[in-house]
Amino acid sequence: MKHPLVLVLAAVVLLPLVVRPAIATEIWIFAIFGLGLNLLLGYTGLLSFGQATFFGSAAYVAGYLLKHYGIGVFSALGVGIGVGALSALLVGYLCVQRSGLYFIMLTFALNQLFYFIAYQWTSVTGGEDGMPGIPRPPILAIDFRSPVAYYVLVSALFLLSLWVMKRVVESPLGRILQAIRENEVRAEAVGYNAPRFKLLAFVIGGAFSGFAGVLYAMLFGIVPLESIGFVFSGNVVFATLIGGSGSLYGPIIGSVVFIWLSESMSVVWARWPLLLGVAFVIVVLFLRGGVVEAFSRIWRFSKRTT
Amino acid sequence: MTLLLGQILNGIATGMLYALMGLGLSLITGVLNIPNFAHGALFAIGAYFLVSVVGLLGNFWLGLMVAPLGVALLGLAIEWAGVRRLYSAGHDYQLLFTFGLALILNELIIVIWGPVGISHLPPALLRGGMDLGFTFYPKYRLFVMLMAGLLVVATWLFLEKTRYGAIMRAGIENKEMVSLLGIDIHRLFTAAFALGAYLAGIAGALTAPIRGLSPGMGVDMLGIAFVVVALGGLGNLLGAIAAGLLIGIAQAVVAAYWTEASTAVIFAVMAAVLLVRPQGLFGIR
Amino acid sequence: MALLETHDLSKSFGALSAVNAVSLRIAAGTLHSIIGPNGAGKTTLFNLLTGQFPPTAGRILFDGRDITGTAAHRIAHLGLARSFQRTNVFPAFTLLDNVWVAAFACSRSWRGLVWRRTDRYAEVTARARAALADVGLAEKADRLAREISHGEQRQLELAIALAAAPRVLLLDEPAAGLSPEETRRMVALVRTLKGRYTIVLIEHKIDIIMSVSDRISVMHFGALIAEGTPAEIQRNPEVRRAYLGGMAA
Repeated sequence: MKHPLVLVLAAVVLLPLVVRPAIATEIWIFAIFGLGLNLLLGYTGLLSFGQATFFGSAAYVAGYLLKHYGIGVFSALGVGIGVGALSALLVGYLCVQRSGLYFIMLTFALNQLFYFIAYQWTSVTGGEDGMPGIPRPPILAIDFRSPVAYYVLVSALFLLSLWVMKRVVESPLGRILQAIRENEVRAEAVGYNAPRFKLLAFVIGGAFSGFAGVLYAMLFGIVPLESIGFVFSGNVVFATLIGGSGSLYGPIIGSVVFIWLSESMSVVWARWPLLLGVAFVIVVLFLRGGVVEAFSRIWRFSKRTT
Repeated sequence: MTLLLGQILNGIATGMLYALMGLGLSLITGVLNIPNFAHGALFAIGAYFLVSVVGLLGNFWLGLMVAPLGVALLGLAIEWAGVRRLYSAGHDYQLLFTFGLALILNELIIVIWGPVGISHLPPALLRGGMDLGFTFYPKYRLFVMLMAGLLVVATWLFLEKTRYGAIMRAGIENKEMVSLLGIDIHRLFTAAFALGAYLAGIAGALTAPIRGLSPGMGVDMLGIAFVVVALGGLGNLLGAIAAGLLIGIAQAVVAAYWTEASTAVIFAVMAAVLLVRPQGLFGIR
Repeated sequence: MALLETHDLSKSFGALSAVNAVSLRIAAGTLHSIIGPNGAGKTTLFNLLTGQFPPTAGRILFDGRDITGTAAHRIAHLGLARSFQRTNVFPAFTLLDNVWVAAFACSRSWRGLVWRRTDRYAEVTARARAALADVGLAEKADRLAREISHGEQRQLELAIALAAAPRVLLLDEPAAGLSPEETRRMVALVRTLKGRYTIVLIEHKIDIIMSVSDRISVMHFGALIAEGTPAEIQRNPEVRRAYLGGMAA
């Protein structure tokens, strides 16, 4: 695929013609979330099962400031990046000391810590009811309260995020992280402090997650408790894996597929997480390399037969 | 003071249940190399099965025997139908499978038993309190401590003293070696999953009369089970007990003074221990 | 003056003494071989020198400085590079990228770590290509590491160590698993590196050792039992008993 960026641009332009702007917005927000996770999962080989920690924390903090202190959009996004990065620094510091299964379990357990704090601290977070009333402030004279206007803002920010992530993965850091994934012992022998680089990946991934979290809060006008919960963490892992963790664009495809799936199901049944779980199970059992992998295999195969 | 002692006793009771959960998870995760995200759901189903069986047969003791077996069977089915098929796809996919399963099971509980919490009384024999000298303490909780202790001992005996237990421990250390020795590795996986599920199921069944049931009980317990394994170490029986008791008592003591923070304390204790000892309570660096 | 020295270096794993009070002096510019039967502690010695784990006792001096206990990821920056006995490369990377990553680590500055494109580092790429050329893999630079032959992977192993432009090369059985033809080529390669680098070589194949070494140290059960020139070692009766087992020179 020679020009994936062109395809992405086309998707950004055409998507709101196919689905409601709010859903299209959600797709790009989730894609940003997935890009952050994939730096850890695809590039560094670290399965973080607690990304909602950074997504949700940023959403709550920025949401609180937006609601009670009337900060502007860029400040809110800045806060989101900062909170996402900081919470990732704290969580990452504890997690990168262990590897493999322990790492996965720790990311999950620390996610639960943040979840319980959000659940109990009802005076600030609203507990189970979430934090409603998140405004969508204007930028200069532009009002973003219409779904289309917000879609334009979010998709522009998505393209910006994609460009930033592209720079990161094409930089020496990107290569060092992949080296750690390929052979951590050799990467250290060659002169890289692996835990520190993993922590850096964590922080960058956290920043992306936080950024997405703030956009999410402004999209729905509420920060739901679920946004910091384990199901959310699992959703982004699922989306990234089925999109294909081996490429930069995998999480984008995964986000499209996942949001479309979950939105279609939520209108069918109140117990739609069950259907989502069934979808997970089916996809995992039958569509393993991910959608990107499946496509690239078909692509290579068709090239050989011509 | 009596309040504190009473809370410590509560902490021991719940701590033993946490240890059982950690142990079951540790077996599944250690042998199959995947964190079992459905473990909390298995716990919850154990509790709900108990309620249903007692409702059907009218006998708590029968329920306590049958419910965990039901969960073990469920574990067998999960391993056979899904986890095994994904062996070649790699750990990420097996993990996602258990996650999807957790979603399904948690929702199924709501579908079958309803979204509202249920309370379940202990059997007549175990109702009321016992005079321990410094306080009256609920008989049922003493029973739970006893039962959980017996189960831990039984698991220990199985792992340390039987041939199959040794195979399971070896499987946690080195799967290749075990299969090279001619042992059917797939049967080992199934056995580990079934045993782990059994432990989760009986922990759930025992919990039902203490805290009541709610659809969310599985998710809450899942995180705690992970904490026990992270602190205690995979396949480490002593570690699971130590970690379980530590967080159980910490939670109970904090609950006396600051109820809201009591569950968060479990994770805070974990974070604190790991800051000082990244390898957990007993791990080697 | 010894570039690399160890003083009574020891490492025990519980009751097992893997390395026992080993004192070595490696002179700059020489090729110093370490031989001994399997399990003699040679690779453990290398692991100590490269900081994989700290010693139980003793010291390591590099260029006069005490580097005992330095972590593995710092050793490369000091000027010591190592190749591994079991091929330890980055399988999904191209050969060029394998070496590039090593070359970048030791570059003077990491400016642009997070935002500059890797193809904009001309100096690093040039060093990487030079290292590949040194080992004779220049034309295969764009092949994936997992796709080349075992012999070529051993060459890549060496190139990765060279990319750090080290002062000391620690080569752990570079000829492991190679055919006689490939072994000849590896020996010729090591010969070209002699003089340009200080080399510490672990090898099993006696003919290689005898033909390239300036000095040889013999290890047995973790301890040094002999040291000297190739000729001296050949004549040493203890060495014959422990290792050469009466083989003709």
